[in-house]
Amino acid sequence: MFSVKTPKPTFKCYLPPVQTDVRKAIEPPIKKLEPTLLPGEIVVNEVNFVRKCISAESTQDDLWGRLICTNFKVSFIPQDAPVKQKTPLSHRLLGEHDIPLTCLEQVVTVNDTKGKKKVLGLNKKLKFNPTELILYCKDLRIIRFCFDEAGPESAKKVCLAIAHYSHPADLLLLFGFEYQGRQYHESKGERVRGANPQGRSQTPIFDRSSDWDREIKRTSASEWRVCAINTDYTISSSLPEYIVVPVSLADQDLKQHAIYFMDNRIPLWCWSHPNGSALVRMASVCDPLQQKKIEQKIAAGITKSHPHRGEPIKLELDKNLPNIQDIQAAFIKIRQICVIDPFEESEERWLSSIENSRWLEHVRIVLKLSADVVFHLDGNNASVILQEEEDRDLNCVVSSLVQLMLDPHYRSRIGFQSLVQKEWVMAGHRFLDRCDHLNKSDKEESPVFMLFLDCVWQMMNQYPAAFEFSETYLTVLSDSMWIPLFSTFLFNSSKQRAQYLMDFAKSKAIPQGEDHVVYFPPIWNWSQQFSIKDLTLFNNPMYVGKGAACVQNGEVKTFKRTKKSYSSTLRATAGSLRNGVKNTEDALVPRRGSLVSELRPDFSPAKDESPSDRFFRDFFARPADQQGLLIPLFMPSHMALWKLFFLRWVSEACIPRGGPITAYHKLSQLVDEIDMLHNQLRQYKGPTPSSTPLPSPSEAPSDQRRMYFKASSAHDPSTLPDFLTSTFPFSPRGNLCRRSLHGTPISKFLNGAKIWLSTETLNDTV
Amino acid sequence: MEKSGSVDSLGSKRTSSRQPSVDSLSSSSTSRSDRSAQVKPSSAMSSDSVSTSTEFSPELRVKPKPKALRDSVKEEPQLLPNEKVQDMAHDVTYVCPFTGAVRGSVTVTNYRLFFKCMDREPAFLLDLPLGVVSRVERIAAGSSRDVSYGLVCKDMRNLRFAHKQIEDTLRKSIFEVLMKFAFPVSNGLQIYAFEYTQVFPENGWKVYDPITEYKRQGIPNESWRITKVNDHYELCETYPSTLAVPVNIPDEELKRVAAFRAKGRIPVLSWIHPESQATVTRCSQPMVGVNGKRSKEDEKYLQAIMDANAQSHKLFIFDARPSVNAAANKMKGGGYESEDAYQNAELVFLDIHNIHVMRESLRKLKDVVYPNIEDSHWFSNLESTHWLEHIKLILAGALRIADKVESGKTSVVVHCSDGWDRTAQLTSLAMLMLDGYYRTIRGFEVLLEKEWLSFGHRFQLRIGHGDKNHTDADRSPVFIQFIDCVWQLTRQFPAAFEFNEYFLVTILDHLYSCLFGTFLCNSEQQRLKEEIPKRTVSLWSYINSQLEDFTNPLYVNYSNHVLFPVVSLRHLELWVGYYIRWNPRMRPQEPVHQRYKELLAKRAELRKRVDDLQREVTNRSASSSSEQPGSPTRSITPVQTFV
Repeated sequence: MFSVKTPKPTFKCYLPPVQTDVRKAIEPPIKKLEPTLLPGEIVVNEVNFVRKCISAESTQDDLWGRLICTNFKVSFIPQDAPVKQKTPLSHRLLGEHDIPLTCLEQVVTVNDTKGKKKVLGLNKKLKFNPTELILYCKDLRIIRFCFDEAGPESAKKVCLAIAHYSHPADLLLLFGFEYQGRQYHESKGERVRGANPQGRSQTPIFDRSSDWDREIKRTSASEWRVCAINTDYTISSSLPEYIVVPVSLADQDLKQHAIYFMDNRIPLWCWSHPNGSALVRMASVCDPLQQKKIEQKIAAGITKSHPHRGEPIKLELDKNLPNIQDIQAAFIKIRQICVIDPFEESEERWLSSIENSRWLEHVRIVLKLSADVVFHLDGNNASVILQEEEDRDLNCVVSSLVQLMLDPHYRSRIGFQSLVQKEWVMAGHRFLDRCDHLNKSDKEESPVFMLFLDCVWQMMNQYPAAFEFSETYLTVLSDSMWIPLFSTFLFNSSKQRAQYLMDFAKSKAIPQGEDHVVYFPPIWNWSQQFSIKDLTLFNNPMYVGKGAACVQNGEVKTFKRTKKSYSSTLRATAGSLRNGVKNTEDALVPRRGSLVSELRPDFSPAKDESPSDRFFRDFFARPADQQGLLIPLFMPSHMALWKLFFLRWVSEACIPRGGPITAYHKLSQLVDEIDMLHNQLRQYKGPTPSSTPLPSPSEAPSDQRRMYFKASSAHDPSTLPDFLTSTFPFSPRGNLCRRSLHGTPISKFLNGAKIWLSTETLNDTV
Repeated sequence: MEKSGSVDSLGSKRTSSRQPSVDSLSSSSTSRSDRSAQVKPSSAMSSDSVSTSTEFSPELRVKPKPKALRDSVKEEPQLLPNEKVQDMAHDVTYVCPFTGAVRGSVTVTNYRLFFKCMDREPAFLLDLPLGVVSRVERIAAGSSRDVSYGLVCKDMRNLRFAHKQIEDTLRKSIFEVLMKFAFPVSNGLQIYAFEYTQVFPENGWKVYDPITEYKRQGIPNESWRITKVNDHYELCETYPSTLAVPVNIPDEELKRVAAFRAKGRIPVLSWIHPESQATVTRCSQPMVGVNGKRSKEDEKYLQAIMDANAQSHKLFIFDARPSVNAAANKMKGGGYESEDAYQNAELVFLDIHNIHVMRESLRKLKDVVYPNIEDSHWFSNLESTHWLEHIKLILAGALRIADKVESGKTSVVVHCSDGWDRTAQLTSLAMLMLDGYYRTIRGFEVLLEKEWLSFGHRFQLRIGHGDKNHTDADRSPVFIQFIDCVWQLTRQFPAAFEFNEYFLVTILDHLYSCLFGTFLCNSEQQRLKEEIPKRTVSLWSYINSQLEDFTNPLYVNYSNHVLFPVVSLRHLELWVGYYIRWNPRMRPQEPVHQRYKELLAKRAELRKRVDDLQREVTNRSASSSSEQPGSPTRSITPVQTFV
């Protein structure tokens, strides 16, 4: 039995917990609790009278209910109707207490009284009756269930079932296949009737040549062409069917060159700068004897596609960046510090621990290298080849970051999604292996995509008005990796996707030729996961954007401007932005003239200044154009911890009615009001008011507003909703129960009393 | 002054050794740095500072007029009233740690140092109030014929100048002249604030009136009274003349309590909870001594404070010090309340270190961030200064006080040793958390006037205005630390404060500038004696005359909103916008506030257009006399919203 101790002051806020009357009566539930199941989802095992831990500090909030393992998720159904509390961002396919099996990182069973603990894997046996189940999740949650009142055998069975089903033997066993098969047939009628006409979302998938054509056109990359030699994946198993190559290289040449590259990966065009310089990614050449020759041929092709026949610059990422094991190790460490170590313990040397994890250093070094690439493309007018052994990991990170910095199109939400499609999904990032969806091998697991998202967040943190989407969007996107219902993050390559989906289609009697986007959709159709209202949390009210429609014009315009500026050592007063005073025209006049000419040479700062240093210095000296080139500051002192992602489950770090969200709240309300005013203007400008009655603005469906927080009216004094905390829209409640403070802390057993632990326990310590 | 020749004394080894070093960005961009932080009030402001080459200055504001500057031949700064040029020198080199050496001219007035280089395009200006200078040192320049001077500043930077050896032995270097005016107190001169006569539309000396403030809190009431016992500072010379004490303690007894409290600083009311009547009171340590002396009057007095709050039968005494320090004070006659003597009182030590530890910590911080940021192991270096840890302990202490009062409905007594450093930090921060009024601009001014100035935080000693004795052990960044804590709160609650970061930076800049009288002297009594309000201008006159610059556009005045910050290193940050603002590499964050103001302007424009159209429609429909129920006039109303 657990004991209820007098709550002790915990670290949080230095405040003691609210004094409460001792013990809440424990009444095991009687009524039958039914899980919410998706089409095709079946209950595998279940146990009643389970206690879900809600807060690490006391048991008084704990929930009693039923723990269920299905072929999709671990579900907990509380016996009492949940306290009416507003839960923002509720998932349409997952309940508050659900965890998809693919989200499980580790399944740990504990027997408190025996002091035993075991990490359950596939086909592991469990020699004791668990009193506790701790689920370590890939989205950093730690969820604890106690079986003090549950039947020991059924508890054990559920634990084993969860362990078993979270280690599927084959990808096809992931629930998404079952689910989408049912969905397809169930919704078919609707589709035929045209209820779901769009089929494809606005986000280009880049699985057809038209998507690439559009991208070539958008970037005016006239010297590049779509090449179809990899149709049916005849050349390379990891490239998409359509790729973009220099016009000067014929299909025949490419086929010849392909064999020398790792996995026959012909170099891929990523993007072209308005000045004609191109960004290309490339795997390494396997045969060292041929390397030089082949690379020269490729370079020659790229050179011919450059308006000034400029030779490309090759950057070898393997030499300059951490490898996937380094990234994984850093992530494990930073996760340890942020969510696993007791709060107070990690507080003591917080800064140096964060530094020692090296996660931020990896983020920084990737950003810095990407900025260097930007310099070559933009400041140096040179094409750049990114080379990585396989071209499937860090090339994805760097190529996407470079494009985010250079091209405002990718800072819109659709643009960003197309970037992920293009540089990650289609370019063959091994999502299946890196995410370790089958929980098979730790060797291949590495949060490369997370590293990218953190880099994007750093940019967002430095340029809060430059992105159409919010940090909530980035966080939700990271969570989507662990929901196996959509195709985006499930596969290692486009070929693998095609094969699996073909088998799947056959097995589910889906007609051949049906678009796989229809029968196994990508995550980009977010309304499948969230309500329209919740989706407005993805919008950044500060975004200084042009509508997607006029992106091209805006882009061209801004590029011209920035290019011109680079030619001089421009100085302009940016500081005046600071205090809300608009730049005067004076301050913006670029000035020519050398900074150094009048200096004694030995004091000259520019003595050893490299062209790239100068490029960056000039860039940072100017006010940033949110719709132009954006380079993040990339020294260690500029890096920050992404708190929403790393600390959202940590209740001790949750600021009640505080955090950046309170500013977001205020901004959203203002933007909402502006949107309403725009609407009114539009209505006035409609048909002449005398002829047609004007539709009242209040008729506009409120859920179509762009902003989550609506402008409040004059009668209703503005109040700060209580649910606004620094972790919003996520709640730490019940999502991070590290170790028991009640009963005997397991960590004490492990640290202090190893002698009497069984060997089984010792070998399986977390 | 000692010609130590030590570069070290500059605290800027790196300046000299790797002067024009180029590590990518760090040295590359020009400095926003090199401008004085100071702001010239009113008209003088336009010519400001601001070398046009100094971007990103946090406080660079308002139209720098580069054109005017270029056209004008005169090289003097625009002088403030009664500011007089004392000396001028050409061909002086300013060795900027970020952009390298700049050759120009130096002007020294009784208020500032003004460096200007016209050869550069844009002109390079440096405008430094002499009050910022902590020490001036002549640095031996080896074989070269140059003489070099280092200026160590109180605001986290060091400046270095050089000029040719002066042949004429009678003539002094301009920096010798500067030394005289930088330390007027040591040289029998007047601090510039006494000469400055600028008139502002607002009179800052009227911001704080103790009676009004106590009235706002509902004092006097049935439990608390205002006493005039200290009218002539006879009870306690470092306290204000107006004090709020428990009703049932007569003035005579207050005197006996004063005898038992260090420096006579008896427990008095700082703040009272409008509902629960729980109070925050402040005082100095009891004079317990090694023998554990007791005072019946003091015990009765604390009991009275407890009794004044019917909600709780307990009293919390927060001793800001680490318990070891508190115990050590017994040797000097001080100490802390024993729980035996004070029944129903619980004593808590808050572990905040003394002024010497804080001074050392800030010195270390300066080493880490100036002139170059120690980028390798940045976080570890930052951690090793312990600065954020100290900030954390202070905020944690204030939070515990606020929580006891708000959630526990219990009255608290706060003291340290003398009750004018750590105690001021704690009470004022707790009051900021508890009372939204102090989070407005005027409220914050009142808070400073009350808890810091009137209760005798020794600004003169802690800052050393005009005093050349830079090694004085009484100097300490206690107030800076407090402002840092406030900034941390504004980071956690971006919409809860009416003022912006610039307001806080401005306060700190004028803490040193000696332009305003606000932070002069050590106590209310001294200020009265020196006739500060008559003879000087208040900083609040300047600030309140241009509130817009200091207003946080995101501010929402939520009523009865108590702030409970998370006091964890996870959320505490180094205040880059203050400590590293001289480094051009630390660009301030892209301005959320700026964007907000743009949006506000947009809204105003749209509203106007809607209003115009609305009027047009109304007119038209009036003329056609066809009123429609769903007419826009009505439907618009809900959108005419709050600000």
